[in-house]
Amino acid sequence: MHRLLLLILLFVALSGCSRRPIELVVPFEAEYGGEVIRCDSPDSGPGLMDLRFYVASVRAIRDDGVTVELLLHPDNQWQQADLALLDFEDGTGACNNGTSDTNTTLRGTLPAGNYRGLLFTIGVPFELNHGDPLLAAAPLDDTAMHWHWRAGYKFMRAGIRTADDGFWIHLGSTACEGTVRHITGCRFPNRVNVLLPEFLPGKDSVVVDLAALLKETDLLDAEATDCSSGPAERSCEAPFRALGLDFVTGSALDTQDVFRRRAGQ
Amino acid sequence: MRKISILGLVLLTIGFVALWFFERPYEWSIDPSLPLPGVPADNPMSDVKVELGRLLFYDDRLSVNGTMSCATCHIQALAFTDGRARSIGATGQIHPRSAMTLVNVAYGSRLTWANPLLDKLEDQALTPLFGDNPVEMGMAGRESAIVDLLRSDERYVDLLPSSFPQDEDPYSVINVVRSIAAFTRTIVSHNSAYDHFLAGDETAINESAKRGMELFFSERLECFHCHGGFNFTDSTTHANARIDRIGFHNTGLYNMDGEGAYPADNTGLYDMTGERRDMGRFKAPTLRNIALTAPYMHDGSAATLEEVIEHYARGGRLIEEGPYAGDGRRNPFKSEFIRGFVLSDSEREELMAFLNSLTDESLLTDSRWSNPH
Repeated sequence: MHRLLLLILLFVALSGCSRRPIELVVPFEAEYGGEVIRCDSPDSGPGLMDLRFYVASVRAIRDDGVTVELLLHPDNQWQQADLALLDFEDGTGACNNGTSDTNTTLRGTLPAGNYRGLLFTIGVPFELNHGDPLLAAAPLDDTAMHWHWRAGYKFMRAGIRTADDGFWIHLGSTACEGTVRHITGCRFPNRVNVLLPEFLPGKDSVVVDLAALLKETDLLDAEATDCSSGPAERSCEAPFRALGLDFVTGSALDTQDVFRRRAGQ
Repeated sequence: MRKISILGLVLLTIGFVALWFFERPYEWSIDPSLPLPGVPADNPMSDVKVELGRLLFYDDRLSVNGTMSCATCHIQALAFTDGRARSIGATGQIHPRSAMTLVNVAYGSRLTWANPLLDKLEDQALTPLFGDNPVEMGMAGRESAIVDLLRSDERYVDLLPSSFPQDEDPYSVINVVRSIAAFTRTIVSHNSAYDHFLAGDETAINESAKRGMELFFSERLECFHCHGGFNFTDSTTHANARIDRIGFHNTGLYNMDGEGAYPADNTGLYDMTGERRDMGRFKAPTLRNIALTAPYMHDGSAATLEEVIEHYARGGRLIEEGPYAGDGRRNPFKSEFIRGFVLSDSEREELMAFLNSLTDESLLTDSRWSNPH
């Protein structure tokens, strides 16, 4: 009897060892054409004006093909269980709309298992997107990320400056219906789906490539200086395509070019 | 035993008196002929909150560089507009649109030139405070600076707790916008010559203005379809309104491509809905104090009231050259009420006399709304 109990205990202990949840950190890196890009990059070259975005529904693909949620650790600043704000701008240089705090990783827990592949959404889920920012919990309490007149959040603020010019993007849901705090739907959701099939959690990192985002955008065109997701903004077509968004419908396409995997050492 | 019951009775009485004192409805200082404005359930009116809102409305420290307050673009002497075609933000950025009047804004079913989503002043206040495209007051991401201001100024320390007695911590940004909203809700105009005429004083407006009134309300001129009701705009609501009345209209100001296009930074409702038919649709502003709020239209592109009347008489504006060239009369999205009309010189003067009779001079100097600093 004692022996049986011991055996059971041993089994539980062993299985506990091998089935311990994985504490995962997913690092993000901001680049422009292979170079790290920062707010205080030299004036001559491309520099950061802004880069902040919401990441939601982070999932990893287990070896049996099932997608499993990465449960983020709420920290009352950057993360809720299913939503994080990544912030690459530190308020220096051309990032004059920003603040010194930065956050470039996702931190959460995956159930035990073997994983290859990472999925996430750039955006704030509809259920969280249309509340009052002054009453919302972090990271939805940042007035710089709220798009007051569009009654939701800026999913992404990204801006690049060059020596002579620049371009910035505010991405978010548009053509919403209802009234502020009582939004019933948005015709152009504009949420970006990212799938990195070869991503090895715990080893690899995610590169945000702003050169890919602006590949077809003429940074020197004085007429087209920004895209704020408006329905008539032709300047949005190219960056939307890069993000894997159909500019005409606002829905996500199968592929995007802006986020890619960097293999870990 | 008897002592206890007397004590109980006394306490009960005190309780009821206190309840009556704190729960008594806010007393609007507006003419009884007007409906009461609607007030959000989570931001009831009180005198102390209105006083607090007035201090905040005029506080330059609510801008990123301390150069502007709400009152910078909403100047009392100009019926709470700024006299500019397009307003200028704290950092010098020019807004695509002209500052709207705050007169009777409590009755606005929608609050801005072309946003169908914004129906509450508390929500509207966030855009000038925190918006960054364009920068108006430029406070995005500076919530803690606002809270620090509230905690450091003794007038705010004095007024915030009593304005928000339910709040454990009343020093918050949301209470800033709630207070400013409460203050702006009190800016109600009902003391124009026209109002006195409506109240029975036949001599309050002259014969010319009376004929102008007939013209204004005629099917020939069609003005009243969009500028109707006690507030002279079809986007009007009040506390007991049964329906959500909203009006956005294309008045044929532009037609840049012959297919109805408006300038890219001012496409009106279209920018919000993405529906082609919403191109160039803007809210009809109230006409109260209209003589004081030049220049006119959403982009300040009409310098005078005479120019505005000319635009409507033609049934749409003709711009002969330049980047905005086009015949607005032929804008396919134009309102069916903009059909044009012919006015004699004397009729034109009469219409102007009527519009001038909508000015409420007392509003411009009323100490309830003046700068308290």
